[in-house]
Amino acid sequence: MIDPAAATLAPLPVAVPLLAGALLLLVGKFLPGRLADALATSAALLTLVIDARLAAQTGQGPLVYWMGHWQPQGGLTLGIALVIGQAQAMLGAFMALLFAASFVFAWGYFEDIRAFFHVLMLILLGALQGFCLTHDLFNLFVWFEVMSVAAFALTAYRLEADPLEGALNFTVTNSIGSFLILGGIALAYSLGNALDFGALAGTLAHRGATDPVAVAAFCMIAIGLLIKGAALPFHFWLADAHAVAPSPVSVIFSGAMVPLALFGLGKIYWDLFEPVPAVQLLMRTLFLALGITTTVIGGLACLRQRHLKRLLAFSTVSHGGILLIGIALSGPVALGGVLLYFIGHGLVKGALFMVAGILLASAGGVDELWLRGRGRPVWPAGILMTLAGVMLGGAPFGLMDSGSRLIGAAAAGRPEKWILMAMVLGTACTGGAVLRGAGRIFLGLGAMAGEEARGPTDEESEKPDRPLWLMMLPTAVLLVAAVGVGMPHADAMVLHAAARFLAWDRSASVGPVGPPLTVGAPQSAHPFMPWLTLALTVLIAAHDLGRSRWPKTWLRATDRVLCSSWFTAIDRTHDGVVGDYVLWILLGTALFSVSSAVALYAG
Amino acid sequence: MNYLPWVTAAWLFAVGIYGVMTSRHYVHLIGCLTVMQSATYIALLSVGYRFGSVAPIFYARSDSTPAVDPVLQAMVLTDIVVGATVTALLLALTLQVHKKRGTVNPERLRPLRP
Amino acid sequence: MTRRMRLVLAALCALMIAPAVVAVIGRMPAFGHHPLPYGDAINRTTVAQRHVTNMVSAVNFDYRAFDTLGEELMLVAAVTGTLVLLRGRRGESLSDRAAQAGERPVCERSEAVTLACRLFFPIIVTFGIYVIMHAQLTPGGGFQGGAIIASGTLLLYLGESYRLWRRLVHSLLFDMMEATGAIVLVLCGLGPMLRGAAFLENVLPLGQTGALICGGIILVENAGVALAVTAGFILLLVEFLEETRATRDGGGS
Repeated sequence: MIDPAAATLAPLPVAVPLLAGALLLLVGKFLPGRLADALATSAALLTLVIDARLAAQTGQGPLVYWMGHWQPQGGLTLGIALVIGQAQAMLGAFMALLFAASFVFAWGYFEDIRAFFHVLMLILLGALQGFCLTHDLFNLFVWFEVMSVAAFALTAYRLEADPLEGALNFTVTNSIGSFLILGGIALAYSLGNALDFGALAGTLAHRGATDPVAVAAFCMIAIGLLIKGAALPFHFWLADAHAVAPSPVSVIFSGAMVPLALFGLGKIYWDLFEPVPAVQLLMRTLFLALGITTTVIGGLACLRQRHLKRLLAFSTVSHGGILLIGIALSGPVALGGVLLYFIGHGLVKGALFMVAGILLASAGGVDELWLRGRGRPVWPAGILMTLAGVMLGGAPFGLMDSGSRLIGAAAAGRPEKWILMAMVLGTACTGGAVLRGAGRIFLGLGAMAGEEARGPTDEESEKPDRPLWLMMLPTAVLLVAAVGVGMPHADAMVLHAAARFLAWDRSASVGPVGPPLTVGAPQSAHPFMPWLTLALTVLIAAHDLGRSRWPKTWLRATDRVLCSSWFTAIDRTHDGVVGDYVLWILLGTALFSVSSAVALYAG
Repeated sequence: MNYLPWVTAAWLFAVGIYGVMTSRHYVHLIGCLTVMQSATYIALLSVGYRFGSVAPIFYARSDSTPAVDPVLQAMVLTDIVVGATVTALLLALTLQVHKKRGTVNPERLRPLRP
Repeated sequence: MTRRMRLVLAALCALMIAPAVVAVIGRMPAFGHHPLPYGDAINRTTVAQRHVTNMVSAVNFDYRAFDTLGEELMLVAAVTGTLVLLRGRRGESLSDRAAQAGERPVCERSEAVTLACRLFFPIIVTFGIYVIMHAQLTPGGGFQGGAIIASGTLLLYLGESYRLWRRLVHSLLFDMMEATGAIVLVLCGLGPMLRGAAFLENVLPLGQTGALICGGIILVENAGVALAVTAGFILLLVEFLEETRATRDGGGS
């Protein structure tokens, strides 16, 4: 049973960061020295502790907390509920950890504008927690908007030309996503006349069977969330925004914000729209296909980048595709994989962005070719980058590997070989690109002709006089967590949390829940998969690093593939013009329309 | 008459997105985003409307008078605040881009041009 | 992609989306005729339960106050972001004094304009305060009243000089006012928890229906929102107006 003291903790993961942010806004100008950094880090750590406590307490049943004590009256839900299960609390705790690490990394970075960075980041943390824990459709949208607005402002923080343009692309495309979500909410409300997931789910199950309005509501909300979650063809803004945001901010975008949007999509699907047959069909086909395509194209685009942060941004797109595959597969095993992959990927990607920040601060650039050999003064960062690259590239240890194994196991019985091939290819491309970068920057390998030509954003640097150990400490902490030190039963715990989420979350706010479920860990059908991926990763990295050592025939064959028009087309479509990005959103919407029509009239 | 609000909302959204895609000046683009936002206001308010009802204010009326749905009106209020603040942020971004790049033509603004 | 190609592709997409839009519009519930149980439940019970007569305020500040909390923090985030963007380039120290007007001639305000502004400014501010204070009775509230007051202060700039506008409108004061508004709203949530109630629960005395003081915590939240919105919009006006000035050193703008 839930301890009543723990029950009162429920609104605090949202309230604590927001209160801390508002307080910092009030007194930030008068605080001496690094007190603002300390306050922000403490607020993030306090949120982490509260979320961890909530995760520990919700093993036997979810915590349902009605805001303002507005319990359902007469069968109608009048207020807003938070439903905190173990899955959501774990994600919330992970995000708070990422923020704490980011605040430590950014210690002393932002001096000029009195604590505004910390205010915006704390509001972002509160919004992410609210988005994760809420059980109300419009409340979900409100926190989505709060996190979007804070993110828009943080992207442009450096006030150079490129961050401003990146922020403009980000804002315009994501605003269109918000409008679509609002339209979807209007449609869903017109059907169900309620906003609570539990109440709405009942009506949608009854009426949604052949109603195009229900399918349209789902599609509109899904497109909005997919824009934020950077799935093809809505992902174009991500590379622009990540490349120009300050490193501590990119840590949060890739580690928390983008994957959480995809988890939100999963929540909407499992809590509201799963009983609608057409939506189920769409999820099994369209979303799975989108996930596979995103993984592959994100990985291939990643290989072609020489700007380190843009490279990492495309790798986020690719791994987001794997998350989308997991969500489309549905079921407790897939969801367990998604949760593990979310946390593992977030930790590794956060560490990699911090390494990029270290390079920017110490070497003064972020272009991979320009940095060749210049990473030697900060060689400990090279060790961390290699470890991260190996984990990104499918090494058979750590949280990311557990997650992808579970997702792979859940793919059994589906078009399994496409899913597995996509995962192998995407993972190998991104891991290979990171390892290639590590080899080039820290070991000086991989000289290329014409590398003296400067890449994009040559005039980039971040504040240089922060101590190296202070920047390396959070990076190391994140990687140690990603390896899974001290979490021997992570797999089993996450699987149980996933199963209980799927069983309890939808109706938790309107009725009693059943007994706690357990799910056995499935055996992996392809135990050699991680090794295959790792081998491919090393091959891809070695290809570029040791160009002079490969036989000419091999080089000619691979160059014919890698420099073909398909690959250059990938670069050309990411051209940074916002009108093109909006056109791609429109193309994606058209794809959804046609698929929904087929799903409705075929099912 | 039954379909007019929905058609209006769809039309406004379409016009707005056409404007965003073909815009040559960022302030115009921001105006088009506002037009798209108006589409959502109309859609939301129309869902909650009821013929023969009054506004949900019972100051001089008995509270059993039929009234429209206040929840949607509260949602639109939130929506308007969202729109106003995002517009302010976008305009500030546009101002700074103009100072830095000298242009506010979306076709010519590309981050990280190689 | 050229504009022509973009338009052609967009037209193609419109052709593909149009049937879906038509199908959805055809199946929407009858406009103006379908049941609204959620709204009806609130309309029926709020006057008795909360002693307020404005249902929209009740929804905003009581039933769905958690949404309003998020919305207000979003306003704070957006205003903060705009301040970072606009103040960051100039530096914070400059925002305390008015800058020169560059090469543009400084026109004298016409006496008619000054008189009109001096007449209307107190009227508008009073009206704004009236709208804020009657949130729970008649249409209005913190958001609406705050926007009215903030627009009213613009008359100070129109009718008087820029120097007087900056002297009367201290950015520091409004910075703190905005933060205070946000803190008030979060404390309205945490405060009831200290008494053992739920987050954002209405624990204050409810007063008498139709009186100026009624609704309990709705009034306090309304005040917090009014503070934050007024200060936020005034800060935006200050920063955007400051952008029209060149710096004393001649650079920028």
